[in-house]
Amino acid sequence: MGPAEHDRPHLPAPTIGPVGFAVGVVVGLVGLIVNPLWISTIGAAIAVIFLFVWAREATAELRGRHVAAQPEVREAGAGDAPATAGEAAVPPAEHGERFPRSKFLEASTLGLGAVIGGVVTVPVAGFAILPAFLGQRRHEVDLGPVGDLVQGQWYIATFVTDPKEAVTSRRTAFVRNNGAVASGSAQVPSFTIISNRCAHLGCPVQANGPMGKPKTEKTANGPVQLYETQPAGFGCPCHGGQYDNEGNRTAGPPVRGLDRYDFEIKNGRLILLGMYSVSHVDGTGAQAKIHKYQLAGPGEHVVGIEQIFYPLQPPHH
Amino acid sequence: MAAAGKPTPIDERRAQFRRYKEDVKKRGKPFYPYAMFHDTVMSLVVVVMIAGLATIWKWTSFAPHHDGTHQGLLGPEYTAPADPGTTSFVPRPDWYFYFLFYLLRIFKWPETVFLGTVGVPNICLVLLLALPFIDVRRERRLSRRPVALVAMALTIVSMAVLTWKGATAKEALASEVIAEVPTWVKVEKLPPAAIPGAKLFASAGCTACHTYLGSGGAQLGAPDLTAIGARHLGIDVQIKHLKCPSCVSPGSPMPKFDSLGDERLRQLAVFLEASKGKR
Amino acid sequence: MITRRGPSKAQVRRERMQAAVNFPLDWLEERSGLVGGVKYFIFRKVPGDINWMQTLGSATLTAFVVQAVTGVILAMYYQPTPAGAYSSIQNITDHVTMGWLVRGMHKWGASVFIILMFLHMGRVFLFGAYKYPRELNWIVGVLLLAMGMMEGFTGYLLPWDQTAYWASVVGINLNGTAPFLGPWLAQFLRSGQEIGADTLTRFYSLHMLVLPGAIAGLIGLHLYLIIRLGVTSPPWSKEAAGEVRADEGSPELRSGLTRPGPRGGNGNGDAA
Repeated sequence: MGPAEHDRPHLPAPTIGPVGFAVGVVVGLVGLIVNPLWISTIGAAIAVIFLFVWAREATAELRGRHVAAQPEVREAGAGDAPATAGEAAVPPAEHGERFPRSKFLEASTLGLGAVIGGVVTVPVAGFAILPAFLGQRRHEVDLGPVGDLVQGQWYIATFVTDPKEAVTSRRTAFVRNNGAVASGSAQVPSFTIISNRCAHLGCPVQANGPMGKPKTEKTANGPVQLYETQPAGFGCPCHGGQYDNEGNRTAGPPVRGLDRYDFEIKNGRLILLGMYSVSHVDGTGAQAKIHKYQLAGPGEHVVGIEQIFYPLQPPHH
Repeated sequence: MAAAGKPTPIDERRAQFRRYKEDVKKRGKPFYPYAMFHDTVMSLVVVVMIAGLATIWKWTSFAPHHDGTHQGLLGPEYTAPADPGTTSFVPRPDWYFYFLFYLLRIFKWPETVFLGTVGVPNICLVLLLALPFIDVRRERRLSRRPVALVAMALTIVSMAVLTWKGATAKEALASEVIAEVPTWVKVEKLPPAAIPGAKLFASAGCTACHTYLGSGGAQLGAPDLTAIGARHLGIDVQIKHLKCPSCVSPGSPMPKFDSLGDERLRQLAVFLEASKGKR
Repeated sequence: MITRRGPSKAQVRRERMQAAVNFPLDWLEERSGLVGGVKYFIFRKVPGDINWMQTLGSATLTAFVVQAVTGVILAMYYQPTPAGAYSSIQNITDHVTMGWLVRGMHKWGASVFIILMFLHMGRVFLFGAYKYPRELNWIVGVLLLAMGMMEGFTGYLLPWDQTAYWASVVGINLNGTAPFLGPWLAQFLRSGQEIGADTLTRFYSLHMLVLPGAIAGLIGLHLYLIIRLGVTSPPWSKEAAGEVRADEGSPELRSGLTRPGPRGGNGNGDAA
């Protein structure tokens, strides 16, 4: 009983009929687009001719012609045995061979798998993580003419930081014009500009005092509302933090004073620049000595022993 | 079979589990329909409750303006749109975070803030995760698990108390307290001269640290001022104290209020001296 | 001679109906084995003395399914942008047919889901059902609790109203106070230095895709472990399956589940 006994009769050898028919159909369809008159006609003709040829061959047995059947032959053993057995097997590691083939296959499978994992994961993870830290831009905010800010009067200023983000980038700061202070030989304007984000967990701090009617300034980044107020300090509604008029923490859980804005005067208008963190402030008004630090998030200590917990700040503007 | 000598604890556990499996096979009931019926009834209750709450929410927040802003039984359907520049909003988390929220108010000393934010919650999470490795006894009867019962009771009580305190925590904000001035005038029988000082007291943030006739916060340890006038300190002492509290009472953490100006300080002092308690 | 009547008409009809129902089930079973799996789940044995308190787990699952289904429908109308979020939710509540019901069910379903999770955890603790061999299941459950609360946190921001915005400010800054990695974690969550449009879409992605996917996977593991390890009897049950009291000596002495003696000793007359 040899292998030939187990084979079933195979179909006749491949002929030209079906192939020609397919070519004719393709030419016909392409011709519909390229040149419907000639090319598709030629294609149709080819298809019909080869359809006829194919039909003749397929029905050859019916008409009594002998058709030669090619038996399908399979080599014994191929594909039936594991890769390490039989004649064509992967040879086992020979004595003294340092890089057996099976180990190479294992290592390269795992290695290529790792590469695929990396190619898929790294761009996705980078996309999810990196944009949060790159490209942080600083926005300069125009608060209006300096003349509109009466000296010694506190204002609650509400402004839009980024016109593109509109309401989402609205912020509030407590602003006081301290007049002019001597710096060297010149007189420079002094402003106290305190952010209203609590240094505990970022809640919106309120002024402890009566609030007047708003004055609206029209500026390049949208309307700025200025409310007059006489605060006796600032308080936070979330967990009870209290600050004095210089932003120093007087009670409650805030870990440092309120953050402040850097500013400049351009063309007689007050421009807010970047923010910075403050540990505490000595003195008041124009004579205040502000202990400045790089901007830190709420709840992060900037001085004292706890500052070792926050050694590295994410990129800020 | 156990080796010669006492079976080890893991052997005992495995034997118990084997017995459990056998018992269930011999004497257990099929999940459907016995247990599945109970599950289905309970699931129906849950779904009906959710749909019911949604319906009640809709109908109680609808009237009277038909716009979903009425503070009904379950709250309004809408609050104001997000305004990052607000100065009048009181932030609160969803109710199931109230216990964490109140924890933050407990840890009010700056050095301890990290305990409330990350310390205590993470310790609780680690204890929860490690529970099966802390309690390795096989005992399940409640009468023989006193530590477990006490721990559970303490946890439930403390979480309930923290959640309730978080729900009722109020900051005395100027915008809310000033509405109570007429009541103060009536209860303390304040003379008209004291009214400007009362309004100032309400709006200058004094109630953030002091309590007065029930309003305000006592969380920061400041004394109640309902009857401060009964101490007969005198207007001048009051003004001096307001200008520099630590000069009059050494060690006082109260900030200086001299920035209010003499006129306002006098008004405040008149109000404080007139506050002799409930009449 | 015994005459046997043939099967009655009613019996024939019943048999034909059985065959009609069985045919597609058998087709499916032969090609996938799934029908057998479902039958195993449905007809498996559980202890005869289980308690109503043990329905809290499936109740939690129901609440989660409610959240998932209502969430998917809400996602068809919600716009995760600062400009569109508030108005799309107004649209859902006021104009979309039954939108108020779907939104309300999602909002209150969240609270019910969390309450049920805590109750279920309490019940499992009370029953001691976290002990061998169910330790892994307990850990999976605690992770599910943590993720459920994170779902609540991320979902809370989506209406983009005042309560949503400020609760999220505080929550993110809370994470920021963690030592060393805190500020980086907060900036990652916020997708930038300030809360903005990117924060909203990031929270939306977490709330809709990442967390539900993880929760669904862990629920699958949780259910598999329950089926494999079995459901416990209540600890106060008189005929608790498999129980040997800790003080009753070697397990080899007991023979199956015998009635416990009056003082807790086993039925063989040994002392407690």
